[in-house]
Amino acid sequence: MNRIAIPRHEWDERLNQLLSSFDLFAPVENDFSCDYVKLDAETIPEITYNKPKPVTPLKTFFLPVKENVTAGSNGNNPVVIIGAPNCDVMALAFLDQIYLDNEYDDPAYGARRDRTTIISFDCLSIQEHCHCTTYSIEPVGNKHSDISLALVDDQVILSLFTKKGETFLEQMGVVVANTPEETVLRTLQNKQKEVKELLSKQNNSIPGYEETGQLVEASGDEIWKKYASDCVSCGACSAICPSCSCFLLIDRPGFEKIRQLDTCQYPGFERVAGGEDALGPLSERFRNRYMCKYVWKPQKYELKACTGCGRCIESCIGQINKNELFMELSN
Amino acid sequence: MGKNGNLYKPLKCELIKVIDESPLIKTFVLVPQQDFSFATGQFIEVTVDGLGEAPFTPSSSPLQTDQLEVTVMKTGYVTDHMHTMQPGELMGIRGPFGRGYPLEKFYNKEVLILGGGCGFAPIRSLLYNLIAISDKLRKVTLCYGSKTPEDCVYKPYIQELRDTPKFEVLRSVDQADENWTERVGVVTVLLDDVRMDIKNSVAVVCGPPIMMKFGTMKLLEMGYSEHDIYLSMEKNMSCGLGKCGHCMMGKYLVCKDGPVFTYDEIKDQPHIWN
Repeated sequence: MNRIAIPRHEWDERLNQLLSSFDLFAPVENDFSCDYVKLDAETIPEITYNKPKPVTPLKTFFLPVKENVTAGSNGNNPVVIIGAPNCDVMALAFLDQIYLDNEYDDPAYGARRDRTTIISFDCLSIQEHCHCTTYSIEPVGNKHSDISLALVDDQVILSLFTKKGETFLEQMGVVVANTPEETVLRTLQNKQKEVKELLSKQNNSIPGYEETGQLVEASGDEIWKKYASDCVSCGACSAICPSCSCFLLIDRPGFEKIRQLDTCQYPGFERVAGGEDALGPLSERFRNRYMCKYVWKPQKYELKACTGCGRCIESCIGQINKNELFMELSN
Repeated sequence: MGKNGNLYKPLKCELIKVIDESPLIKTFVLVPQQDFSFATGQFIEVTVDGLGEAPFTPSSSPLQTDQLEVTVMKTGYVTDHMHTMQPGELMGIRGPFGRGYPLEKFYNKEVLILGGGCGFAPIRSLLYNLIAISDKLRKVTLCYGSKTPEDCVYKPYIQELRDTPKFEVLRSVDQADENWTERVGVVTVLLDDVRMDIKNSVAVVCGPPIMMKFGTMKLLEMGYSEHDIYLSMEKNMSCGLGKCGHCMMGKYLVCKDGPVFTYDEIKDQPHIWN
């Protein structure tokens, strides 16, 4: 892994120069939240660095809420996403297992993946429901992004992981030989250590990923009925989840198919024409989402189906906290 | 572009013939705009333009590539509309999807097939294939049940089968009329009449979930081992590609990992019969 340092003002200038040839996105804080914006000359200096986590999950860049999957090209501009936290990057790597599998790689998803460079942010602070390390996911970038970035002492520290990242830096005119100073690197390492300690302290009672799977699988119906009594099937948890990706195909005249993101939390998700519905009762649907993420998906895929971003907890209008449910199961 | 092209895009087919099989079941004969092949037990998604699509296992021979047949019970939004369609209209098909019957595992065996209602559709495709490889099989016994004699499908084909060496057909109806000369009762009553060398036999079950459940239980009682019972599962298969999640059955996605499973593969998964 190559590490490169660039002064912040120079980084901003180089991003500016790329605006005409790339669609650049990065998180910018506003009065209410922090979310991705399409960068322009005015917003480049406003990028919010190394803060978890944009409201919008990374998946949305690759799986829009609604798109025509029979229409062919979905755009040509190369895209650079700056500032994806590692929970989102690992969730995207999880989705690659589904959408780019050996038997059939999804054309729309694949085309977007091909033309997008991902620059992840190391998280240098935490939020209330962040719990990536509980599931053995580091809050710093890794090889599943093309480059990772940390802003330390007004220096942009880039860690280069992939050929695509290297090509992007060449286009940007960044000299790979500019290695960061030892003191800057030490400051970064200390901050990363601090963040991990904060996460560990905040989440010390939450069971790990495999243990959660065992608890969920062994659980009786009662706890699901209890927590589901606050669920209104709005589907916010799935919509905002970086690794939920179920969809519905809707037909349009001309033999066109529209893919619209869907969720097992909605009634009728598994209903067949004869009326049989394996996920009829709300509590069954509610439980299904956790069985899917912690019990069934791990039997099918190598990477984790929950990366501990905590967005589902923050978005739930019934104030359901899955980690409270898991802690109750473990007691 | 995906390495297999865009499998969301239907292949257009001309509907050339509609055969009335029973008051609720019709067979649609489709001619695709390019040759189309499938393995027996695999399914396709049939699109009614602008309205919706639904999964069906073709009921025609997998050996025929210039046209195919789907047998459809009128039972929902898409199938209701299909039943109004006339020759000359266009439909779309996507696929074939999933894992069909592993015919090589049937070699040198007796094959017992248990089917009910519209579950005969995939079975007919299988039977065409079994006839083609009958020199490799010991015998094939079809037990087929329907609600009433009027609901029995493929009537001319039944006689053809009965005239085919190594093939036998047993039928039952839940409610008989005065002309019915065969068994009366749910389809599993036919299993009392069959004489199979169970240790050298495989069983295939296809039909409504309730029939599949009781059929499987009876086969287990008879001594069939769990890995010799092949079930064609029916879930809400939508994308056909193992991506949309609608046909999840525990750790399996029926559209990709199935639709044909052995009982031992799925017995511990949730909601297999509904």
